[in-house]
Amino acid sequence: MTQFLSLLLNGISLGVLYALIAMGFVIIFKASEVVSFMHGSLLLLGAYSIARLSGPLGFFPAILVGMLITATAAFIVERLIINRLRGAPVISLAIVTIGVDIILLTELIRRLGSDILNVPHPWGGESFRIGNVGLSQNRLIAILVAAVLIALFFAAFKYSNWGIAMRASAEDGETAALMGIRQGQVSALAWVVAGVLAAVAALFLVGSPTPGVTPAAYAVALRAFPAAILGGLDSVGGALVGGLLIGIAEALAAGYQDQLLFLGRGFSAVVPFIVMIAVLLFRPSGLFGTRELTRV
Amino acid sequence: MRLSNRSTGATMLAAALAVAASGCSTKAPESSGGGGSGEGGAAASDVITDVGIEGNTITLGVLTDLTGVFAALGQDITNANSLFWENNQVCDTYDVELDVQDTGYVPQQGVQLYSGMQDSILAMQQTIGSPINTALAPEYESDQIVNFPSAWSKTLTEIPGTGVVGATYDVEIANGYDYLFQEGLLKEGDTVGHIYFEGEYGANGLAGTQAVAAEKGLEVIEAQIKPTDQDMSAQITQFRAAGVDAIALTVAPGQLASVATVAQAQGLDVPILGSNPVFAPGLLDGPAAAKIKEDLYIASPVSSFDAHPELLEEYQAAYPDAVPSLGVVVGFGMAEMMKQVLDAACENGDLTREGVVTAFNELEEVDTGGLVVPIRGFEVGQSPSLQSFILQPADVPGGATVLQEAFEGEFATAIAG
Repeated sequence: MTQFLSLLLNGISLGVLYALIAMGFVIIFKASEVVSFMHGSLLLLGAYSIARLSGPLGFFPAILVGMLITATAAFIVERLIINRLRGAPVISLAIVTIGVDIILLTELIRRLGSDILNVPHPWGGESFRIGNVGLSQNRLIAILVAAVLIALFFAAFKYSNWGIAMRASAEDGETAALMGIRQGQVSALAWVVAGVLAAVAALFLVGSPTPGVTPAAYAVALRAFPAAILGGLDSVGGALVGGLLIGIAEALAAGYQDQLLFLGRGFSAVVPFIVMIAVLLFRPSGLFGTRELTRV
Repeated sequence: MRLSNRSTGATMLAAALAVAASGCSTKAPESSGGGGSGEGGAAASDVITDVGIEGNTITLGVLTDLTGVFAALGQDITNANSLFWENNQVCDTYDVELDVQDTGYVPQQGVQLYSGMQDSILAMQQTIGSPINTALAPEYESDQIVNFPSAWSKTLTEIPGTGVVGATYDVEIANGYDYLFQEGLLKEGDTVGHIYFEGEYGANGLAGTQAVAAEKGLEVIEAQIKPTDQDMSAQITQFRAAGVDAIALTVAPGQLASVATVAQAQGLDVPILGSNPVFAPGLLDGPAAAKIKEDLYIASPVSSFDAHPELLEEYQAAYPDAVPSLGVVVGFGMAEMMKQVLDAACENGDLTREGVVTAFNELEEVDTGGLVVPIRGFEVGQSPSLQSFILQPADVPGGATVLQEAFEGEFATAIAG
């Protein structure tokens, strides 16, 4: 039971971080109808900036500047590329983001080298225990921060002008434009928010129990993808549920590797994708995505 | 009613691309490094030569990684190679020039770069990366190239002319177990959890654990991971539930950091035994530092700077801005081995590629002055050495000190064949 609870807690903590990243995918998709594949490198950029700046600036100012850098990078990509290609086919835009991702990632990997760059979290590697069940303080703080951010995000989405404008644009871009909503602005802000969310997720993903900033942190964003997709690529709530589902499934599959041996070693790595495929088979638009309807 | 015409299509596209992209994982790790200088060989007036020698200059190839995931290590090994050859000659006659090319750890690029240098080099001083070594194996064999990789997989010993710089991973980790038994940190019938990478690096390390387990009645809990897996919470939770007495790792430094912090958090206070690529000095700045310094034992083919302060001094004088890793020791060690091969070929009067391969095959009992474990010789399919150092992380240059000088564990001979 202790093992199960430990794994569950760990899965939830991983899941909320996946959810933060997945929410970035979702709002970008809603605002600009682009499936952004550059989240991995944005995540790494956030982690790298925070780690590098922590020395000269101190930990907390480094977080702020790191978020600013990541958001600015996302903003620049939106302004210089995505905004100019508005109306291009979905697949072209997706491939463009892959291109930008590879460029940014190559530079970051070159800078990182093979060593490990540490982010000096004030909470370090300490852990929090309830009985025999333990969770690193880093992950506990991640859960709390993510919960606050997600709540703020939902509120903003529902009540702020930006949220309303974004929902209107996603619902029907042309009508929204006729009503005076500036889609370019909505889209730019969505990319900025996604950048900030990626930087926050990165801050916790490179802390205990995972090592510091290494190129492998990039792969985490790839696992958040199935979270966004199985939740429904245009559903913010779906991203949250999808993130948790993937995080828990992955942690349990890794922890019960021996019991799942009949499925082969390393099964946990493919769990996010198996869950995603299983969900899509039954619900092609994801759990909470808008269903495609065709009048005949 | 809302008619979403893009959502489903985009979802399926994104799903397909995400699955495809996730297949692009990172690679198995390389490891640490070395140095030293050697004695000159005999004078060589009637030496036959063919490719790679112009006048009194020998050109050796270096396919390293200066911009990819092993850039820091590649830089250290390459710097050490260069520094060694600045101060040494073959046969007291020939200077050595290195043709250094950066593969970025991409096998395809490695193959292309090799074809560019193929006709101008005598041998390969260094090829970084098991995938690149494997990709180039047929060409190295047909071109009669002597090559030193900076990886220790058993499969590399199958390539004729390729000289693994120390014991292979299976022998190495078995020596590590031997040390744990000797020190009373592990006993017969205990349980060991081994986390290893998929692929040949991990499989080779695991083979060492399995061989020792068969001898000593150890129960082994195996946990295979991908190089991109960073969070070891689930694996350590599993190990703790199984009550392991030691953890073995054939992974990269990132996973070691995670193992150490999670084990500490869960109160799993057991020794951690690592294959040589698991350690990087940067870990000592992170939250796992205390646990790593206390409980990690690294089985290594190379010594550390505390045993070779002169090497560190020389390196720092030449590269004042570098933060040296043990990759420097590997770099000096492999250059010293190349020098011994070329000196022997020169003494045989044959510095052709064929002559160099012959000298390489005939080499026995290679001594690099304690930088690298003693090499018994390079026979195809066999671990070149039966010995390993045991290192312990510490706040010193290179990040580790020697806990146990090079020794041959009781399982080594049986495993090495």
